[in-house]
Amino acid sequence: MTAVSIRNANKIFNKGKANQVDALRDVSLDVEHGEFVSLIGPSGCGKSTLLRLIANLLEPTNGEVVVNDKPAAQARLDQDYGMAFQQAGLFEWRTVRKNIELPLELKGWDKPDRAVRANEMLELVQLREFGDHYPWQLSGGMQQRIAIARALAAHPPLLLMDEPFGALDEMTREYMQGELLRICAATGTTVVFVTHSIPEAVYLSNRVVVMSPRPGRITKTVDVPLGGERNEDTRNRTAFFEAITAVREGLRGMHAAHVGLGDDDR
Amino acid sequence: MFLAALVLVVVIWETYKALGPADGGKLLGVRILPRTSEYAMPHVWDMFSRFNRPEVRGSDRTVFDAVLAGAWYSFRLSATGFVMGGVVGVGLAVLMARFRLVQRGVLPYLVVSQTVPLIALAPLVVSWGGKLEVGPFVWPRWLSASLLGAFLSFFPIAVGTLRGLAAAPASSVELLQSYAASWTKTLFKLRFPTAVPYMVPAFRLGASSAVIGVVVAEISTGLRGGIGRLIIEYAREATGDPAKVYTAIFGAALLGLTMAGVVVAVDVFVMRNRPKESVS
Repeated sequence: MTAVSIRNANKIFNKGKANQVDALRDVSLDVEHGEFVSLIGPSGCGKSTLLRLIANLLEPTNGEVVVNDKPAAQARLDQDYGMAFQQAGLFEWRTVRKNIELPLELKGWDKPDRAVRANEMLELVQLREFGDHYPWQLSGGMQQRIAIARALAAHPPLLLMDEPFGALDEMTREYMQGELLRICAATGTTVVFVTHSIPEAVYLSNRVVVMSPRPGRITKTVDVPLGGERNEDTRNRTAFFEAITAVREGLRGMHAAHVGLGDDDR
Repeated sequence: MFLAALVLVVVIWETYKALGPADGGKLLGVRILPRTSEYAMPHVWDMFSRFNRPEVRGSDRTVFDAVLAGAWYSFRLSATGFVMGGVVGVGLAVLMARFRLVQRGVLPYLVVSQTVPLIALAPLVVSWGGKLEVGPFVWPRWLSASLLGAFLSFFPIAVGTLRGLAAAPASSVELLQSYAASWTKTLFKLRFPTAVPYMVPAFRLGASSAVIGVVVAEISTGLRGGIGRLIIEYAREATGDPAKVYTAIFGAALLGLTMAGVVVAVDVFVMRNRPKESVS
């Protein structure tokens, strides 16, 4: 049983038109329960598209996407996953608490149940005293933590994140990475995480999936042998640097091949 | 600032009256400067003191009472028109936001509808008054005036609301999609709240448009009871009583300001918890 299983998925935008784009070609990927998998690659490699296929925000042109042993469309209807974006995307007219309650409201939960869960989530992201603030009164890092709390409010088994820390400064970013690992360990959530940053991908993941553009495809998968416990010391370990080098080579090899083949005809 | 501007207008008015040529200025045989005689430019204080004197000689009713009653009557018509315009405008905006086809088909006609001169339309709409009768419902004459107010006010409301409904960020739309939220739920949880900052100025414009529509309809159809009728009546007496017509004009201005004020109050209330920045 896997959390996510993608078989030979293709995604072609504007098929048959002059501006046709091969966003994904023949992508297969399995993510085990409890695993943390990062998708990394240059802009336009289709990593966000792949995440949206898993989320069923896009349909694959062909191929199969299975989430929690169901077709992706059913998984979305059942709210089997939560999602967080680069912009925290909190609703400015709702208090922090009401933002966290949003997915529960849409699921039709009663008010008292929602309040209990919102308190739990505020506790989890350690922002209990900010429940009645409005999002614009919070810093960027706090807003992103609220967005994570919102994504996890309904206790989905899977968390999909699209460069969630991309807009944060380096210090906040590293702090947030630690927070995310702590939260995932506490809830046992499976994560698929899209990022541009190699150290971020390595620090967080059990597995880093390297992708290349035009057409978007998976070129390499790097296992990160850092174990489950990760803290600030992890960033100084040899295995950390080795994994970073392996991912970088994956990205660079693809770049070299690109230049060498001279197929960049744009 | 508003008061200072008002004072400035009064000062300019009186200065020109004191210094300008009584018979108006002529340039190459064409009169370009207005006359400053009592008939053309009454003193500001005459305008205000006229409020306190009887409407017609020997009547107990002061002009103030008459203008206030007229303004109140027109206010109710405008408010009715504004509400109708609001319902139609928001309804159309929702339909246009929901169905692209409706937007492509309807929006051009909305723009065209606003190019029809209201004065031309007014007698037509009023003439329906006598002809429409649905069961026990008899079309009252005042409803025609409200309808013209609605006709002017629905347009800015429809356009502003549509722009607001389309302003929801793509990631928020995706977020609600990821929660498998229906279109209606997305509308109420996301699109309407996002649209509020766009709707407020649209409604403010719609409110003053409703007033203009009603007053113009009253003037062009001679509907009795409102401030529009008072403006024509008093204007006819302008030769003998030049200050009187200005009282009615002040009444009309007050009416417009009141309508806008109501919307501003609602604005302040609904936006009280939003970050303090405005959309352009």
